[in-house]
Amino acid sequence: MVPIINQIYAKFLEKRINSAKTKIEFYDNFLPIKLQTLEDRYNRKVEIIKLKYKQKLLSLEIPAGVDSEYLKEIYETEQANLKDKFYWKERIVKASSQRKGENGKEQIQELEKEKSIKANAIKNKYYPKSTSEAIKNYETNQPILNETLEAKITKIQTSYQIKVDKFSNKSNKAVKRYQEININLSAKLHEITKDKIAKYSLEENVVLSLKSLSMHFGGLKAVDDLSFDVKEGEIFGLIGPNGAGKTTVFNCITRFYKPTLGDIYFKNIYDDVVYLNDKLVHNIIKEGIVRTFQNVEMVWELNVIDNLLVAAHTIYRSGFFGHLFNSRLLRQEEKVMRRKAMKILEDLGISAYQYAYPYGLPYGILKKIELARTLMANPKLIILDEPAAGLNDVETADLAKVIKKIRDEYNATIFLVEHDMGLVMDICDTVCAISFGKKLAMGSPKEIQNSKVVQEAYLGGE
Amino acid sequence: MMICRTEVCKDRKARFKQITNHPYFGFFIITFLMLIVQLLRVTGVPVSNTLIRAFGITMIYIIIALGFSILLGYAGLASLGTAGFVGIGTYILGYFTKNLEASIFIVILVSILGAIVIGLIVGFISLRIEGMYLAIITLGLSEILNEVFKNAVSITNGTNGLGLDSQLIIFKNLIFINHNTIFIFTAIIMFVMMILTLNLIKSPTGRALLAMRNSTSAAQAMGVSILKYRLMAFIVSTVYAMLGGVIYMSYISFSIPTTWSLAFSLNILAAVIVGGSQSIYGIVLGTFMIFGLNLGVFQQFDFFKENPAISVMFNGLLIILVIMFYPGGLIRLVTTTYYKLKNALAKLKMKWRNYRYGSDN
Repeated sequence: MVPIINQIYAKFLEKRINSAKTKIEFYDNFLPIKLQTLEDRYNRKVEIIKLKYKQKLLSLEIPAGVDSEYLKEIYETEQANLKDKFYWKERIVKASSQRKGENGKEQIQELEKEKSIKANAIKNKYYPKSTSEAIKNYETNQPILNETLEAKITKIQTSYQIKVDKFSNKSNKAVKRYQEININLSAKLHEITKDKIAKYSLEENVVLSLKSLSMHFGGLKAVDDLSFDVKEGEIFGLIGPNGAGKTTVFNCITRFYKPTLGDIYFKNIYDDVVYLNDKLVHNIIKEGIVRTFQNVEMVWELNVIDNLLVAAHTIYRSGFFGHLFNSRLLRQEEKVMRRKAMKILEDLGISAYQYAYPYGLPYGILKKIELARTLMANPKLIILDEPAAGLNDVETADLAKVIKKIRDEYNATIFLVEHDMGLVMDICDTVCAISFGKKLAMGSPKEIQNSKVVQEAYLGGE
Repeated sequence: MMICRTEVCKDRKARFKQITNHPYFGFFIITFLMLIVQLLRVTGVPVSNTLIRAFGITMIYIIIALGFSILLGYAGLASLGTAGFVGIGTYILGYFTKNLEASIFIVILVSILGAIVIGLIVGFISLRIEGMYLAIITLGLSEILNEVFKNAVSITNGTNGLGLDSQLIIFKNLIFINHNTIFIFTAIIMFVMMILTLNLIKSPTGRALLAMRNSTSAAQAMGVSILKYRLMAFIVSTVYAMLGGVIYMSYISFSIPTTWSLAFSLNILAAVIVGGSQSIYGIVLGTFMIFGLNLGVFQQFDFFKENPAISVMFNGLLIILVIMFYPGGLIRLVTTTYYKLKNALAKLKMKWRNYRYGSDN
């Protein structure tokens, strides 16, 4: 009885730890967004107050004959407006006279007269003769206005500062609390699952390990007793002639197929070793494995950024009712996720397409969008199914760069199947060659190139 | 001062645009237009009873069609069981108020619970069966329900139909409610349902449903559980249908098994497809084309009253034309014509400008 209860308790603890981790990530990402909006609001308020102040000052300055920059600005814009207005009036006169076949010079001269009168009127309005009373009035009232402006600005500033402090304190407190919870729970979990951890262990630096994997479709042995290890932070290539069972291996790892025999172990994002055979297809992404597909699988009704958000599906904390009522948490989370998606798109150099719909975009861009989508879920292992299929040479070279960049900047291990030998030999650290479901050779690209077994499998034996 | 005025103007314009660009603004306008018909009658303009009734029924059908669009347009599941579910909603209200004298809130609670149970059953079926076969199975379920309505005489009063003397129980006492009041409540509920549907569609749930519709394997690889979302889609659509049934019964006060036949399900399907299955405005438009036009316009003339088959023929013709020329629904036609008109207007403006001011060179 006790082990079963322990198991249930351990699962419960795991869930709580994971949720605490996602909460910490959320608070970390949401803080700068909130601060930015607060700052924008503050700046706008100050701007409006300053504008109102200038207008009040102007009503004092004009009769007093004080020349300020704001007055000049307004005067010039008024004159420009007048000029513009008369330009169009002139054009009307010209066009109508042209239609009638008349000269129309008299009318234009009249317009010019009218224009000069109006310009003078504007000048008199903004630069009238000053009176001593107005000057006195200006001298007495100007300092008062200045004082009130400063008082208002300081008031807004203090309230802004209080808000910023309050929010950042709240966020920091939450992060601290969840970190404490995390540590406590992890200790508890470790106590319970001491034996379990010993049960599944991997060598150091190994992320994914296949142990004598077999997949039989009826009598056909698509994968036969295959075992290899993928090391952390490397680009691992799986090659083989057509029908060698590469995609079957992929589907076994991502649980689309249930392997007939053999075990798959994986060190997940929380550095725990998990037995992948127990997991469901849609839970694989939570462990940190994300895959792409041979022919791009986009959601065609959504634009590129929403397509990326689909992959962040498991990170959202808000539930069905939160979605139904558009809750505050959901709105905050959407902001955070959109920011993350934008950053990824910028990193991969496709931010120009953020609001485009994927329908009709070039194939190379679609492949990159799919790569970007895998990054949304904080992956540890990215599985690429023929990333260069259907791309030309330039696009393939670009893709190679992007894959290397992802490996370096996002600390992800990359596992790919590819037919394009140029790409494989260029970017892979380790290559494994299989044929008819059996491992032929494994090693660095050069070793594979020189291996006789591999050459025979590709070109046929003597 | 000049600048001040323009700034204020700009600010006002921006605020007005903020209101009109708000995603709920269109729903508010639709609801307001519906309510205006009722308000006109209060102020004394002679609006015929049948017209108001037509608007009321169309609003109820819009609620049902919204639920169906989540199922068809977003989850990609075809169902022909809508009629049966709506029927259950009507009978729940009828039985609970007439025989058990229960409050309307209890009725709504019971109908939601019933919808969840039925949604779960159909959802589990949909995990194994897809496409046309799912439609046939749900059709079978609907027909079974229809037979139950006909034969469970003690609850449904059989083929004679179940009538309610326009009575509803709000808390404990029997209250006779005016149809006009229920009309207003229906409009408000429709408004709320539109908002909820939009929220759901634009949220991660809506995106997950769309991903599932495009490719189940890709959706699973992205962490979308097919089981959870198919069940959810069926439950949501059934809740909408049952709620529609409850409102129908409280508005019409009469329910008869022949209404809840295959024709009703097909009409809802037609409304969603004719309007556009992924747009809420499209659904409103489609429901008006299929139900509103017949109830509100055709029924005003004696010719159509004597030959009711003509409106059915019109519906058939409409479906054929829309599917042939506008697979995206009539809403696609509306948007394209809007943009065409906008372009034409811009061209006309340009011509007028050239005439008035002379060409630029």
